[in-house]
Amino acid sequence: MTSLSYILSIDNLKTYFFTEAGVVKAVDGISLKVEKGESHGLVGESGSGKSVTALSVLRIVPKPGKIVGGSIFFNGTDLMALSEKEMRRFRGKKMAIVFQDPISSLDPLYTAGRQIVEAIRANDETISKEEAQAQAIRLMEEVGIPEPDKRFYSYPHEMSGGMKQRIAIARAIAQRPELLFADEPTTNLDVTIQAQVLDLMKDLKKSFGMSLILITHDMGIIAEMTNRVTVVYAGQVSETGNTTDIFYSPLHPYTEALLKAVPRVDKRRRLESVPGNVPNLITPPSGCRFHPRCPYAIEKCKQEVPPIEDAGKGRYVACHRWRELLLVGVS
Amino acid sequence: MSGLLTYIIRRVLFMIPVFIGVTLFTFVVGNAAGNPINLILISFKGHLDPGILAQLEAYYHVGQNPFVRYLYYLWDLLHFDLGISLQSQLPVAREIGAWTWTTLYLQFSALALSIVIGIPVAVFSARHQYSKADVAITGVAVFGYSTPTFWLGIILIYIFSFYLRWLPSAGAVSAVTPWWGNWILDRIAHLILPMTVLAYVQVAVIVRLLRGNMLEVLRQDFILAAYASGLKERAIIYGHALKNAITPIVTIIGLSIGTALAGAPALETAFTWPGLGFEFVQAASALDLPTVMGITVIIAIMVLLANLATDIVYGFLDPRVRVS
Amino acid sequence: MQKETAEQEGLKRSATQWAVAWRRFRRNKAGVAGLAIVTAFVLLAIFGPFFAPYPPRSSESLFQGEAGQPPSWKHPFGTEINGIDVFSDSLWGARNDLWIGVAATAIGIAIGIGVGALAGYARGSIGAILLGIIQFFFVIPTLLLILLLSRIAQVLVLHGFGITLIILILGLFGWPGVSYVIRGEIFRVRELEFVQAEKALGASNSRILFKHIIPNVLTPVVVLASLGIAGNILTEVVIFFLGFGPPNTATWGQLIEEGVQYISIYPWVAGFPGMLTVLLVFGFNLLGDGLSDALNPRLRE
Repeated sequence: MTSLSYILSIDNLKTYFFTEAGVVKAVDGISLKVEKGESHGLVGESGSGKSVTALSVLRIVPKPGKIVGGSIFFNGTDLMALSEKEMRRFRGKKMAIVFQDPISSLDPLYTAGRQIVEAIRANDETISKEEAQAQAIRLMEEVGIPEPDKRFYSYPHEMSGGMKQRIAIARAIAQRPELLFADEPTTNLDVTIQAQVLDLMKDLKKSFGMSLILITHDMGIIAEMTNRVTVVYAGQVSETGNTTDIFYSPLHPYTEALLKAVPRVDKRRRLESVPGNVPNLITPPSGCRFHPRCPYAIEKCKQEVPPIEDAGKGRYVACHRWRELLLVGVS
Repeated sequence: MSGLLTYIIRRVLFMIPVFIGVTLFTFVVGNAAGNPINLILISFKGHLDPGILAQLEAYYHVGQNPFVRYLYYLWDLLHFDLGISLQSQLPVAREIGAWTWTTLYLQFSALALSIVIGIPVAVFSARHQYSKADVAITGVAVFGYSTPTFWLGIILIYIFSFYLRWLPSAGAVSAVTPWWGNWILDRIAHLILPMTVLAYVQVAVIVRLLRGNMLEVLRQDFILAAYASGLKERAIIYGHALKNAITPIVTIIGLSIGTALAGAPALETAFTWPGLGFEFVQAASALDLPTVMGITVIIAIMVLLANLATDIVYGFLDPRVRVS
Repeated sequence: MQKETAEQEGLKRSATQWAVAWRRFRRNKAGVAGLAIVTAFVLLAIFGPFFAPYPPRSSESLFQGEAGQPPSWKHPFGTEINGIDVFSDSLWGARNDLWIGVAATAIGIAIGIGVGALAGYARGSIGAILLGIIQFFFVIPTLLLILLLSRIAQVLVLHGFGITLIILILGLFGWPGVSYVIRGEIFRVRELEFVQAEKALGASNSRILFKHIIPNVLTPVVVLASLGIAGNILTEVVIFFLGFGPPNTATWGQLIEEGVQYISIYPWVAGFPGMLTVLLVFGFNLLGDGLSDALNPRLRE
């Protein structure tokens, strides 16, 4: 497959944060490819670099962060080669992002409608205010907001968490982007609302024909929402593949550990969390970064960084022992 | 605007009991040693015109109990009667008008200047955090609010009036010949130094607070979301970041207007600026009680009004505040 | 294993918190600079007067025919028209000014914590009344009242009017700001979810007090202290400059007041004490800001 059929192609991305305490290597060699129309999951613990990857693609990594290496291609366009002005045209219009916390992702001083209108008119000044308002109200209806013409004038603090997130989603898709990043979109919501928002995203994806990159730490959501998934650990890729393959036969020990941590209603099983601590990204472990927490680690894992190997059928894994290990997935 | 009008009405109504409280407080302080007329009689008996003395005795309602006297005091206050000045033997209220205007046009000029300079500098400093310019600005700002305004004024007077002879050294207007040839320019010439000193310190306060707030706001998700939507830099920084950062600052600015009004004494004395602060010091030195109390009340009322104005501006900017 | 008392646990936890904060403070160059300046002045205040060439307010130079002299080797800051050596009096002044600032702030903080704690804990009308009183102080022109009280003290007390009264007056008006912050902190900690959870699980009030409230309250107090001293020194200089301070006290404000009258011919009299004031206040402000940054986790990622 040529890179042109991929809507997003990230190759060996490195994004570092230059802080007073040291250089935090948040993303240290992440590669991933997303096809048009795909629902791609990006899963890992907090601090694994998933969010920073999304911000890097949009080139809105906050200071003191900086993209220091790698390439990002969107529909064949080299995003790193664009000027800031050109890049701005991509944001919102070609790709967009929904953040985790709806309370802090909406400006408290502006009405919901105003913020959507602002997004609509961001890259197209020819749309009149009235036309934009009408579009915004239609969008609000599509995302499931009751009485949108009234809610247009509501402030964020007057809305529930679920409704705020719908507004955030409406704002993100306002310019009909081709690619949508959703960074833990349901983590801060009530459990009952979570399902609604996920369903909404599924519907929107279908009706808008968007490609979706869903960032989460929750394997349950991955199972429900994605067809391909990339597992990330400490700023690097552990493995990539079709969701079903990964779930039934994981190739990387970290993936196995993540799957073990998912609570199951249908099986009586002890709930296990992934053992050990989150790695230090300023001085990460040597060799394979997962080796301190890996039950299968050998001496080689401490010495050498495992390369990303092609395991066939669209699967890639970065583990020295993937061929020999028989890992347990869900069954 | 949703709820703005009700909010304003609520704030105005709230000011009324505060106003009563302030007048009560001033009355109590002024009467701490009994009816002020007693002290006046002791200190000034020989020096006052009998007619004036009689007016004062009437104003202070000799012989009545404190509660009644407070009500008379409040009544007089609302009718702009503040007694007679012991220094000039003129009604306090008549002189206070001119003094108030003199203080206000100095304060407002300085405030306007400090806002015009302070906001852009703070925004610049926040956006270029840790740059050499930012460090320099922050350093100069800390020096700014560490400096006693009156002392800075004195030093500037020495440099610009006595050494360079570019600017006048005292007062709001010249006595005989206008500076720079024209009476309007004369006023401006006298205004420059005190206004600059005041503005410098106020800019320092604004820069410090606004910069801090801007830095916090710029970290927020909704700013990141604004960038992600493809909005222009200008719209994000001024429309979203600044608006959020400045809202709590408005309260601080309002409070500092109050402090500035109350803190005028030293600065005005340094420049011999005939405003409320200067006259307060003169009256306190001369133990001119009616004038002292009169000025205190007027300044307290102006502080109240400044607070009310900031409350209203705050309500206009931040819709969350209108609900309660 | 022995069960630690709530106090011990609270103290231990505070100790590690302080260690972390100290490390962060060390990285803050401005804060460290402020600490250095303040320490230098404290040393100056304690030991300086031993090196002062003249007793405070001494007109000795007048009799030596050296009044009204610009700065020289013998008189580093020059002399006044009445013979007072500016450098010598500045050293004595350092002691007075620093003492006034620290003592007044200490009183203000002590009262402030008391009232603030009451306001933070009291329910219903008592809490509301206390809040009203605190907010009232924000509205009145405190500087004017301070000046007024100083003047009254000057007139009424005469012989007994020393810097102690100034300290009391400053402390009297310094507590509302502290109360407001303390009250806010107590509210904040009480509402924290994990504190409420502990309470629901039966933790005693004293445990909550020592483990959560006190460490959280101490943080702003340290910052308030530094900034408060800065403010009080500025106010005190104003009091003396306007002539409302106890007469014949060696303070920088007094020197400035004397120097203003002759600013055109002897600018050094007002100039040097003013610069010292700026430097000291600057130091306390830097220190306060540095402490605030180090102790406030939100500002840094």
